[in-house]
Amino acid sequence: MSPIDRLLQEYVADLGAALHGPAKAKSRLIGEVRDGLADTAAAYADAGLGEEEAARRAVREFGSVGELVPSCQRELTVAQARHTARAVTLAAPFLIGCWYLARSAGHDLAWDVSRAPQLLAVHLAFVATAAALLAAVTLAATGSLARRLPAPNRLPLLVAWAGTTASGAMAAATLALTTAAALATNWPLLAFAGALAAASHAALAPSARACRHCARLPAPPHPVAG
Amino acid sequence: MKADAVRGHLDGLLLAVLEQGPLHGYAIITAVQRRSGGALELRTGTIYPALNRLERLGLLSSSWQSAGERRRRCYELTDAGRATLAGERAAWDEFTAAIGSVLNPGARPGLAT
Repeated sequence: MSPIDRLLQEYVADLGAALHGPAKAKSRLIGEVRDGLADTAAAYADAGLGEEEAARRAVREFGSVGELVPSCQRELTVAQARHTARAVTLAAPFLIGCWYLARSAGHDLAWDVSRAPQLLAVHLAFVATAAALLAAVTLAATGSLARRLPAPNRLPLLVAWAGTTASGAMAAATLALTTAAALATNWPLLAFAGALAAASHAALAPSARACRHCARLPAPPHPVAG
Repeated sequence: MKADAVRGHLDGLLLAVLEQGPLHGYAIITAVQRRSGGALELRTGTIYPALNRLERLGLLSSSWQSAGERRRRCYELTDAGRATLAGERAAWDEFTAAIGSVLNPGARPGLAT
């Protein structure tokens, strides 16, 4: 392995270990940094510097990993917030579907057990509506709207907790629908809805957890919009 | 010019060097350095998250293109990016005219009182 390759590999590994965010966005950003660093080192080597010196000069010009991490992490935190917001937006129709089924199941069950699904239905409808609205605002506020109106710094944390709440609602829906399925006559439909709620919870929970982690990382606010 | 002073103008600098056509990351860095005559102290690695952000805001679009034997992500101004660049230029002209009229009142007799 050449000195350039070794230094660049160490730099990229350190940067990768320090950054957190959606795998695709992180891989793209680190790949671009690696390519730019390799191009810079190659230009210095072409200008007559030895390989090791060319690589060191390129890293000095690029900035240390510590100098790059804040701006890279800020962008990845926004990318994670948008990823979680999209997951919430996709989960909202499932929550509303579960609300409808849980409400219907209430009429199908004996009076003493019918209150629980109906109560759950009201909560699911509220969580689905609030989470979907916040997710839509997040996607707009971190997209082209941010050209005119800077997104609040705490928005990623807010969407992280919206995702966590929606994920928790999905877990509650799974439990309630499974219980209702055991007691109702139209159990196949309720069991199917319970399985969908479980799948949605499994898809949303990791994204919400990753968003909470990113939102807690220190990253300075950007001086301009976005 | 110190890195902290440059950072606040990074968006405008990146949009300006892309005005002539699409460029990949390293070409953007060399274009900024060439135009400034090397006077700007800029940690060049910080342009990559800035390019990602400008693309997210819809001011740039990007695509993979061949650069010699390698493939590199190339960035291009969108219509919104051109409009924003025009705004950045107007704001900069206004700012430098205002500061200049205070620092060098003799140079702008019409404004100095």
